[in-house]
Amino acid sequence: MASKGRVLVAMSGGVDSSVAAALLVEQGYEVIGVTMQVWDYSECNIEEGMGTCCSSEDVDDARAVADRLDIPFYVLNCESEFKSQVIDPFVQSYMGGKTPLPCVNCNTYLKFDHLIFKMKELGCDYLATGHYAHIERGESGRWGIVTSADSWKDQTYFLFTIEPSIIDRLLFPVGGMTKKEVREYAEKNDLIVAKKKDSTGICFIDNSGYGAFIDKNYPQLAAKKGKIRRYPEGEVLGDHEGIHYFTYGQRKGLGISSDRPLYVIKVDVETGDVWVGEEKDLYSKAMEIADCHWLDEMKDEIYQVKIRYSQKGADAHLIPLEDGRYRVEFVNEQRAVTPGQAAVFYKGHRLMGGGWIL
Amino acid sequence: MTQGNIYMDFNATTPPDPGLREVLDQWLGQWGNPSSIHQHGRGPKKILRDSRRTLAEFLNCHPLELIFTSGGSESNNLAIKGSLAALKSIHPHKDKVIFGAIEHPSVMAQKEYLQKIGYEVVTIPVDRFGQYDLNFYKQIIDERVALVSVMLANNEVGVLAPIKEMVSIAHSVGAYFHSDCVQALGKINFRLKDLGVDLASFSGHKVYALKGCGLLFCNKGTPLEPQILGGAQERHRRAGTENVLAVASLAWSIAQLKTDQLYEQMKGLRDSLEAQLVEKIEGVEIFAQNQKRLPNTTSLCIAGVSGEAMMMNLDIRGFSVGTGAACSSGNPEPSPVLLAMGIPRAKAQSSLRITIGKMTTDQQINDFVRNLVEVVSHLRNLQPSGEVRRGI
Repeated sequence: MASKGRVLVAMSGGVDSSVAAALLVEQGYEVIGVTMQVWDYSECNIEEGMGTCCSSEDVDDARAVADRLDIPFYVLNCESEFKSQVIDPFVQSYMGGKTPLPCVNCNTYLKFDHLIFKMKELGCDYLATGHYAHIERGESGRWGIVTSADSWKDQTYFLFTIEPSIIDRLLFPVGGMTKKEVREYAEKNDLIVAKKKDSTGICFIDNSGYGAFIDKNYPQLAAKKGKIRRYPEGEVLGDHEGIHYFTYGQRKGLGISSDRPLYVIKVDVETGDVWVGEEKDLYSKAMEIADCHWLDEMKDEIYQVKIRYSQKGADAHLIPLEDGRYRVEFVNEQRAVTPGQAAVFYKGHRLMGGGWIL
Repeated sequence: MTQGNIYMDFNATTPPDPGLREVLDQWLGQWGNPSSIHQHGRGPKKILRDSRRTLAEFLNCHPLELIFTSGGSESNNLAIKGSLAALKSIHPHKDKVIFGAIEHPSVMAQKEYLQKIGYEVVTIPVDRFGQYDLNFYKQIIDERVALVSVMLANNEVGVLAPIKEMVSIAHSVGAYFHSDCVQALGKINFRLKDLGVDLASFSGHKVYALKGCGLLFCNKGTPLEPQILGGAQERHRRAGTENVLAVASLAWSIAQLKTDQLYEQMKGLRDSLEAQLVEKIEGVEIFAQNQKRLPNTTSLCIAGVSGEAMMMNLDIRGFSVGTGAACSSGNPEPSPVLLAMGIPRAKAQSSLRITIGKMTTDQQINDFVRNLVEVVSHLRNLQPSGEVRRGI
């Protein structure tokens, strides 16, 4: 059978990318597997089988799947790129009172940039990943990204920085399947990763949490300490050990006692104060975003915006401001608009692009 | 997908000699423990004895001066740790060790260990061409030196060290001398007694034998403490039931070697490879090309092209070549040997190691050159665009 083209598939050792590789082999592509080693796992103390992408077991799993599929497989060391493009900005974001989203940077700079280059280096026609997303040609004839068949697993939120010019070189083989179908396929095809747990959270953060990660790996950064204040009066409820321990909307682990649930409303990077308030104080009518990236032409109409991954889109208007910033006005108030997270826009199922919440 | 299945990484390991299959079957019948006194021990014991004799004859030493180990790394560990442990009780004041700067990791890694237990370890630097600074060596060697360890032939660049001269300098101050001869065996002629070394390491799987067998030559009278305890095997120098099959395959493979003819043949192919590459690809630099070196080894860099990318592209086309040391693939660090030679990092990252052997043919060399030319041209055409987003 003539090959349908040569594909570089990014294999994390997880079930999604393993099934993606298997499907491509089945469909008659010439497949080459790669795993990006992104973090020195010798220092990771993540429990076995936690399904994160930085442990050596995951590299072994990816290799085992590649062997099973009888495809070439290489480990690419991307530690320095990962540190400078993903981890350093992640830490800076927390130290600046924001809540970062490192997976987008990993996609922007590693998966859909570094691997695009590797794809060309290895003479491949396509780059495939295990993302739950679809590629579709729009009415205008333009290639675009649309949400996956499994709306619960849909990962288009993390893909808003993809360059439109490379979309026709991308393949998302599991985008048309549900997670259940993916697992069943893995089991039926004897891929050892079939029962592996889903990765949850951030791949380089272990059980001790991101605060501990920053303290351990960036001891030179002074923690920005301050007061915990009650919103809006400013009453001091206690002290804290550093703003990088807090996230907007966080309820647990505030280290204060109160007769009603309190949430982080705002982190003031100037004073180091963390403001806490009631659930109702978390809601906003509007926000500003910057560093936007659009996959399609944005018009003056209502879009659906996701301000965090695990959320259904909310209707909003997009109003251009200066310096590439935009004001986003929600039709209905939104809970815990979090600086540092992405605001990702959709028109129906189509991914339009997005920006970073200020 | 691959166009062929051409192996050009003989310094990493060698395919077993095709004739080995037949004789292996016959040795498989000798499955007894060579240490057993009953009849089942006799056959295996004889295989060990015969093998030891064949190897001793080839290497020009006494059979009892050869210790069977599991491979080159164990031999290097036993030689260095074992002799230093024994010397400690004889000459407690000798607390200095000298290594070459481009040793195999199984020697280099012992530096840190020895420092931890109180030794001073000095390395003799090499120049751009892999040549040792002998003046430095003469200056630093003194009565405190217990052991010098310098490899005869380097695994990556193939350069040969003037071992005979270095041995006499060591012996003049009463130091013992170990040489890692793993890569030299089966590629150049040498005689242990001519070299004058006290200890020398060898490995079976680099000379068309099975994996799992190595040799340590330990000159009669050289103190050595075993590093594996628990049995009287190898005259109390290395405990553990011998790997009879692998030992037999090593002796057999050595006996098959058509030494001079093979060495000439490899050199002819290697020189043709290098001449073609220099002619057909711009910016090729062959490391240590004009030095005394192994006849099968080409270490080169191709300006501006990633060694990793070349290796992967060649692999997809069916050619197996090396980048840096075999055990550290997936490691982005450029070859420590090239760095020790003062080759800049960028150049070292553009390097490839092509090593041939007795199965290599003229046709394979030509096919390889044609493919590498294509790969380099493909990769160079990509360079100007760079990574999609880099610099933004």
